[in-house]
Amino acid sequence: MEKKPDEAILPINRAEVLDRIGGDPGFLTELLEIYSQEYVVRVKELRVAVEKQKFQTMLELGHALKGSSANLSLPGLRQAAADIEMAGREKDIQKAKDSFSQLEKEFERLKQHLAQFPD
Amino acid sequence: MKPQSEARRNEAGEAMQILIADDDPVTGRMLEKNLNKWGYKTLLANNGHEAWQALQKPGLRLALLDWMMPKITGLELCQRIRKISKPNYTYIILLTAKDERQDIIKGLEAGADDYMTKPVNFLELHARLQTGRRIIGLEDHLLKTQKRLYVLSTRDNLTSLWNRATILRFLDEELEQGVRQKTPIGAIMLDVDLFKKINDTHGHLAGDGVLRGIATCLTENIRLYDKIGRYGGDEILIILPNCSLKNVAKIAERLRSACAKNKISIFGKRLSATLSLGCVSSETMDRPSVDRMIFACDRALYQAKQEGRNCVALSDPLADYRKGTTHGKKAR
Repeated sequence: MEKKPDEAILPINRAEVLDRIGGDPGFLTELLEIYSQEYVVRVKELRVAVEKQKFQTMLELGHALKGSSANLSLPGLRQAAADIEMAGREKDIQKAKDSFSQLEKEFERLKQHLAQFPD
Repeated sequence: MKPQSEARRNEAGEAMQILIADDDPVTGRMLEKNLNKWGYKTLLANNGHEAWQALQKPGLRLALLDWMMPKITGLELCQRIRKISKPNYTYIILLTAKDERQDIIKGLEAGADDYMTKPVNFLELHARLQTGRRIIGLEDHLLKTQKRLYVLSTRDNLTSLWNRATILRFLDEELEQGVRQKTPIGAIMLDVDLFKKINDTHGHLAGDGVLRGIATCLTENIRLYDKIGRYGGDEILIILPNCSLKNVAKIAERLRSACAKNKISIFGKRLSATLSLGCVSSETMDRPSVDRMIFACDRALYQAKQEGRNCVALSDPLADYRKGTTHGKKAR
């Protein structure tokens, strides 16, 4: 079966992010740890925001996650976060729910990828 | 080409501090690591409120502000910082995921000096920070020159006392304040007894030294909030806020006595000089003005000279006016 386009893309563009941070893999590991800790906090808040249809909070959290995902060259997470931001702006609850679910899938993909390819 | 690690120092030789204001800890850490590597000291703020506290510190000259932050946005911070009065300029680079032309214009209009989109390109950031440092350097140079010009335009270059124009301006300001607060303003005009003889006997350089020595002695013996300036030649004017004529006389006598005892070392010689002092207080005048004050204490100074020098004389213009006389009275 042919892979969907988002699955064809790796969850992290390691070459790009290493270039951005000066080629230091140890520093990349540190940044990914910070990202994961932050992700857990923000996703918890995001879940509540989606449940309670708090669109402004969705917009702000989506924007923040989009920024940090872009910094670490995480294209799938960046796109899902951007979609949440847009859903918040457009006050589109269905889009928010779909994007949130996509965000969680992308994070799982990243975790598995990092477990498989730690360096 | 990679940016070189080099120390970024301010005028005091300390590493220059940069504020990083971003609620995203990944961006914050990435910026921090690179800036430290380039020799900057960093200060992290996780939200707009923390950033605002840091921005108000006078020593903080460079800031990287994220546009979207909780509590106060980067845009609002730019507007706020441009509204307050800070002794030094803060160079601001706004960071954001927004890259629309309208947003850039909005950011620059709010008071940002520069603008970068995320993810940050560090080579570009390094170059943009150099631009910021160049602007800060120019401002430092300008402020230094301004300070030097202020000293040159307000201080007497021989004695370092206030110059004539400045001490007269102070007198005008003090008189206005005295009227508002209903407090008397005192003034003393003094000169060095037989100053020409000192110049003729020991030379003009020695005369200059005597003037400097007297200026130091007077400065050490006036109150902290009094003002002292060189009126011209060997004449010195002292302004004494909130001072009755009685107290002006007491201070004048203290100054006379201190300078008479003071020995000034010049070219291996120990010279001394005495002073004649004329005193006035605005409490004795109907409508005090700079000219009236100068006229009155100058006349009292003349009186002191007539009385044999090395003494203090008081002027009472109101009494003189009533009596229709021009004589001062001797206090010693």
